[in-house]
Amino acid sequence: MIKDTVEYKIDDKFDFAIFIPVVVLIISGLVAIYSSTLNHPTASGNFNKQLVWAVFSIAIFFIIYFLPPLIFKVSSIPVYLLSIVLLLAVIFIGSRIYGAKSWITFGPVGFQPSEFAKVGLILFLAYWLTDKKRDINKIKNLAMGFGIGLIPILLIMMQPDMGTALVFAFISLAMIFWAGISLFGLFIVLSPALVIFASLFGTVAHIVALIFILFALILFKRNLFTSATIFVANLASSYFFDFAVSLLQPHQQKRIFAFINPYSDPLGSGYNSLQAKVAIGSGGFLGKGFLEGNQTQLRFIPAQWTDFIFCVIGEEFGFIGSIIVITMFMILFLRMAKLASSAKDGFSSLIVVGILTLFFVHFVINIGMNTGIAPVIGIPLPFLSYGGSSLLVNMVLLGITLNVYKNRVTHT
Amino acid sequence: MIVEKQNIGSPSRYRIMVVVVMFFVAMMFFQLFKMQILDNENYQVKSDENSVKKITVDPPRGIFFDRNFRVLVSNKPSYTVEVLPSEYKSEQNSILEIALNEEEGYVSSILNEKKEFSKFIPRKIKRDVEFSTVTWIEENKNNLDGIDFRIEYKRDYSFGVYGSHVFGYIKEISPEQLRNESEFYSMGDYAGFSGIEKTYEKNIRGIKGAKFMLVDAKQKTVNRYLQGNNDLEAVKGNDLVLTLDYETQKKAEELFEGKKGSLVAIEPGTGEILALVSSPFYELSNLGGVTTTDNWKKLLSDPDKPLFNRATMSIYPPGSTYKMVAAIAALEEGIITPNFTVKCTGSFFYGDRSFGCDHVHGTTDLVKSIEESCNIYYYKLILKLGLDKWNEYSKKFGFGRKTGYDLGEEIAGILPSASYYDRKLGKGKWTSGLSINLSIGQGEISATPLQLAQYTASLAKDGETVKPHLVKGMIDSKNNNFIPFEFPKSNNGISKKNYDIINEALYKVVEGEGTATHIRIPGIKMAGKTGTAQNPFGKNHAVYIGYAPFENPKIAVAVIVENVGYGGSHAAPVARDIIKTYLRIPDNKIENRIAVAESND
Repeated sequence: MIKDTVEYKIDDKFDFAIFIPVVVLIISGLVAIYSSTLNHPTASGNFNKQLVWAVFSIAIFFIIYFLPPLIFKVSSIPVYLLSIVLLLAVIFIGSRIYGAKSWITFGPVGFQPSEFAKVGLILFLAYWLTDKKRDINKIKNLAMGFGIGLIPILLIMMQPDMGTALVFAFISLAMIFWAGISLFGLFIVLSPALVIFASLFGTVAHIVALIFILFALILFKRNLFTSATIFVANLASSYFFDFAVSLLQPHQQKRIFAFINPYSDPLGSGYNSLQAKVAIGSGGFLGKGFLEGNQTQLRFIPAQWTDFIFCVIGEEFGFIGSIIVITMFMILFLRMAKLASSAKDGFSSLIVVGILTLFFVHFVINIGMNTGIAPVIGIPLPFLSYGGSSLLVNMVLLGITLNVYKNRVTHT
Repeated sequence: MIVEKQNIGSPSRYRIMVVVVMFFVAMMFFQLFKMQILDNENYQVKSDENSVKKITVDPPRGIFFDRNFRVLVSNKPSYTVEVLPSEYKSEQNSILEIALNEEEGYVSSILNEKKEFSKFIPRKIKRDVEFSTVTWIEENKNNLDGIDFRIEYKRDYSFGVYGSHVFGYIKEISPEQLRNESEFYSMGDYAGFSGIEKTYEKNIRGIKGAKFMLVDAKQKTVNRYLQGNNDLEAVKGNDLVLTLDYETQKKAEELFEGKKGSLVAIEPGTGEILALVSSPFYELSNLGGVTTTDNWKKLLSDPDKPLFNRATMSIYPPGSTYKMVAAIAALEEGIITPNFTVKCTGSFFYGDRSFGCDHVHGTTDLVKSIEESCNIYYYKLILKLGLDKWNEYSKKFGFGRKTGYDLGEEIAGILPSASYYDRKLGKGKWTSGLSINLSIGQGEISATPLQLAQYTASLAKDGETVKPHLVKGMIDSKNNNFIPFEFPKSNNGISKKNYDIINEALYKVVEGEGTATHIRIPGIKMAGKTGTAQNPFGKNHAVYIGYAPFENPKIAVAVIVENVGYGGSHAAPVARDIIKTYLRIPDNKIENRIAVAESND
């Protein structure tokens, strides 16, 4: 554990083990964006834009880093409420980009309220979970906790942006988990997700999952009424999911089915997934070299600089390049987990876990869809994918993280 | 389970979190290891297939030289407009039709024709377009989807000879052919459909090359693959050296302008065809290169059938030119000697039928019978000889069967025999009176001009022949070596002594007091025979066969001019001009004689 010291070293106030991997990731992202947009008819300016955003975001990061820690607790309620207002507003006045209404534009500047809401959710949920020392294992509190997450989730689903809604759900789940939910509570929360996931793979998998739930309920030995209620809720969940899928845009439905069988539609929804795999797989051990990847340079993957940026690394820098990126993320995550467990108070700890979860879920889904082990859910890879507002919010969150690090002990 | 009041970030939950992180990181590590190390080769292949496009390079076809290496048919570049269906939008139909100067529906009809093929294969929409169309495409490239052009070779026939039936035409390959020979041809390829272009297709089509290009996801060409190191150069087709003589062929075509009929000239002893004309002929440039349905319809509906090769596909009664068959047969069989005479009174009775002669020749021996073309002599001779012997010797001269000439497209003609009449009229229901007409080359006997030319060459060389052919050999495009083609020789075994008698008579036809004295060429001794083929449908066909120089024959020629009358007047002068041209005798040395021979065939 990190000790209090009188003569503190810079290491005690600033965690280079978090900051340097992020800088490496941002630089990797810039290299990959440069490669994938070189000579591109419409995206050739993206490298310069991202470079400006990177510099700006790092500046903002340092501002956040130096802010007094109290400000996060104080601002948690207003930031959350503003997030809700903006998420409502985007449904009415947002601009539609790639089939989803998720952008609010002010003249040339556009931003996504869902990015802003990430900060709002993490701060407010951390505040609510630690305020008045609530027992998260009380059904009422558990419901309230999820309610805080559910409001932005539902609003984001209306855009519709399923990927981000999923990220919000995982953030809420992880923070409630960190706050000390019991195994049974966790089971109640997770079992419907398991059933839904299994139902995607056919009736047999669906039934197996339900039997598994039934056995688990017997092992938990709760009263019959509670167990029965939970089982019925699980039964209902897959029908609710089918209903939710029917609300999805056709292109999103296709993506879910293309994940289960990418060859079902090789030139449609499965196309990106197949091409991404070919790009990464053909990279080999050392990669094809900077600006030498034919999949990237010949633009086989549309808008590769956003969600499929990892392919550029995989193709042009090979296994070595991919592993360096994965390792940077791993260091970041492990370091943040450590920080969460050593933070000064529950609020700071939960904030770090929320941020960690955000980065981690993005990382898993994004790399997963690039390597063909997750469906194509359009969410960016933190610090690497092109996108100014996303990078800015990630750096703000990193600023909060290092702010927590700086203030984890009281320096004299 | 014990639940603490505030249990944020317990060590066990920290451990769970670390395990979850490590689990997913490990999963990604293994997935990347599998894809990039273990399955790398598979993905590499897919990646190459994705982005490397093979563009075939069509080789130029071999060109045709005459026997003296003078160009007869060559190639010239032309522009072909192509459409790639995977990118093409049908809204562009009208603008493309305007640019190509075609009527509405033209583009869609061509695209529909080839619907069954992959939409990633370009369709050739129009060949030989104007250069202005090419510049229009080049200038509007960014606004035109899936429209492009390529440079192709087309046949150049601008060297002064038509050679319609000799060279043949090339045409876009049909879908059936494409399926049968898919290892060589691809859609839109041209292949020989008639003549030399068809027969020697495999020699002249060359070997296709390939260019490998890097294409982007929209199949747009970005760069060359491996700087073109893997490209395969197209190998030009082998050039052919034909047996034709440019000057002679050209002269023959000039002479037949406005006439119907055919001419075949053969070099005796080698079987090399020096000139071959079937008239009316047509311009091959109207058929090669550009798709012109109008031209096709015109050629197909023409009552004079210009597409039909009269030299090998039309049969005519040979008339008096056939008399030498009976004569040589009777000599060879010892039935007569050259001194055998017949008294010609101008007519001959067999049973209750009368057969005539154009003149009263009086006492006629064999030489005179040929020189002055007496019919009565042959009426009597055939009755002595018999149909079977006549048939046997006809066969020795190649009648009644195909000559086997290299282009193949020919018919055997009709050579009557006893069994032929048995079949036609019934056994015992015909008499040898039928053979009387045959003896003077009338009646059922009929032959192609090519057969007559081969017969003439055979007489000139005392029975020695080579299968007639149009191609001497080819020039291997890989090393420029000349590779001669071999054609079988044969000899019909008739004695030289008897040939000498017949040839002396043929000599006298031109150089003595015969029926073709008006075609003499000063300085050259010629032999020949006039003939008139009876035509029940109209005016008789004029026939002439002959060779020159008499002492050392270099050219044997058969001429048939349809519906003009006597062979002496209309066919013999044509032969004279051809011989004169082939032997390179200047015009001024020829006395301008008017055709005087009238009714003495």
